[in-house]
Amino acid sequence: MRGALALFLTTYLLRALVAEVNSALSGTHVWIFAGGLFVAYSALMMPFGEGFSASVLGGLLCDAVTPVAFGTHTALFAVAHAVVYNARERLQRDETSVRVFVALLLNLALFLALTFARIRAAHEAAAAWPRMLSDLAWSEAALALIAPWFFALQLRTLELARAQPPRAA
Amino acid sequence: MRIGRSQRFDQARPFAVLGLALAAWFVAPIAVKKVARASFFEMTAPLAVTASYASNLQRFWALRIHSKDELIEAGRDMARLNSSYSLSVQQNGELQAEVERLQALLKMPPLEKFRFEHAQVAQRDFSGWWQRMVIRKGADYDIPVGAPVVYSGGVVGRVSEVHAYTSVVQLTSDPGLRIAAVVDGDTRPISYQGGENQVFGAARGVVEFLPLDVYASGTAPKRLATSGLGGVYPPGLTIGRIIHVESSQDGLFKTGEVELDPRLSELTEVTVLVPESPE
Repeated sequence: MRGALALFLTTYLLRALVAEVNSALSGTHVWIFAGGLFVAYSALMMPFGEGFSASVLGGLLCDAVTPVAFGTHTALFAVAHAVVYNARERLQRDETSVRVFVALLLNLALFLALTFARIRAAHEAAAAWPRMLSDLAWSEAALALIAPWFFALQLRTLELARAQPPRAA
Repeated sequence: MRIGRSQRFDQARPFAVLGLALAAWFVAPIAVKKVARASFFEMTAPLAVTASYASNLQRFWALRIHSKDELIEAGRDMARLNSSYSLSVQQNGELQAEVERLQALLKMPPLEKFRFEHAQVAQRDFSGWWQRMVIRKGADYDIPVGAPVVYSGGVVGRVSEVHAYTSVVQLTSDPGLRIAAVVDGDTRPISYQGGENQVFGAARGVVEFLPLDVYASGTAPKRLATSGLGGVYPPGLTIGRIIHVESSQDGLFKTGEVELDPRLSELTEVTVLVPESPE
């Protein structure tokens, strides 16, 4: 469980940083979504129980600070975790580039799922899509930039907590 | 054979756990979910508030590098503004007294009174899905859910969540926010809703049920204000400017596009109008 708590600590920090960046960018109406990073490392590297707990805790954190039905992020992160965990043995998951690629794919899927869940609130759904796609593009670019640093941070935190994941076969 | 079964079980295990977790979530009591939501929010609040205080400190030190001449000039401008505002306060007092006299004469119910609670903005969250901000006052200042929030340019939005020492404000640019509004100089109520917020552009909203004799364009915009109907917002507060109108699909009304004040996305301080209970 120490591993799950260590990972949750890093996702807590990530959420705070992303929230500050979004606050600073509010004047330009650019918004960053980093949901993929909440799941990628725990699903790729951690034993199932610990990783799943970390993803669920990250989802609860995101749910608490957003006006969506409580459990939306949690359910999406849990599903994403189960899917990636099931496929991870077929991936070169020790390589940072593979982890970044998985994080980008997860981010894309989670962003689209949330968009479909929220688009009903918009007055004209079609008019909302350009903004959504722009947010998605900015999010993917930002995520590609910070993902290697964030994975290193997660690994270092796990080392400090003495809960390093076993290396991939 | 046994190995094959074991492998299949290993592959299905994540989905079995996922199914159990989702089932547990669906049957969990609402009280548990509410407590979890509040707990996780309060967990994030200290960082947001600390960052806001750090930003204030940064602004303070930035102001310290201004020369004395600049401060003297700013002080002089403030004194001028103060004197004109003092005059407005006197006029406002007289008008208020007259309104009360007329209300008494006509036996009208008194208008709702508000306590002004000024609050610093701790964090802004302007996505394509929602538009909201966190302010640094909450249950500790008796902020109620649903209270209107204003600034010098008009309506900011309404309080949607109240926490221990922070509150969340849903902005007028949020696609989920609706307000009963009127066009300046008209008393017929129309419906305003937050609209799309394009990147690098001003926030927009839409109005529906506009009477057919209302015209507005980018060169001759119409001011949109709160109607006072619905009991949340006091009447006459600016929402935005109607910059485009067109006939609705049924031809009975018009729909329009509303441009919101660009300052809305850079606010650092707002005022919550806390309704005062009648004595």
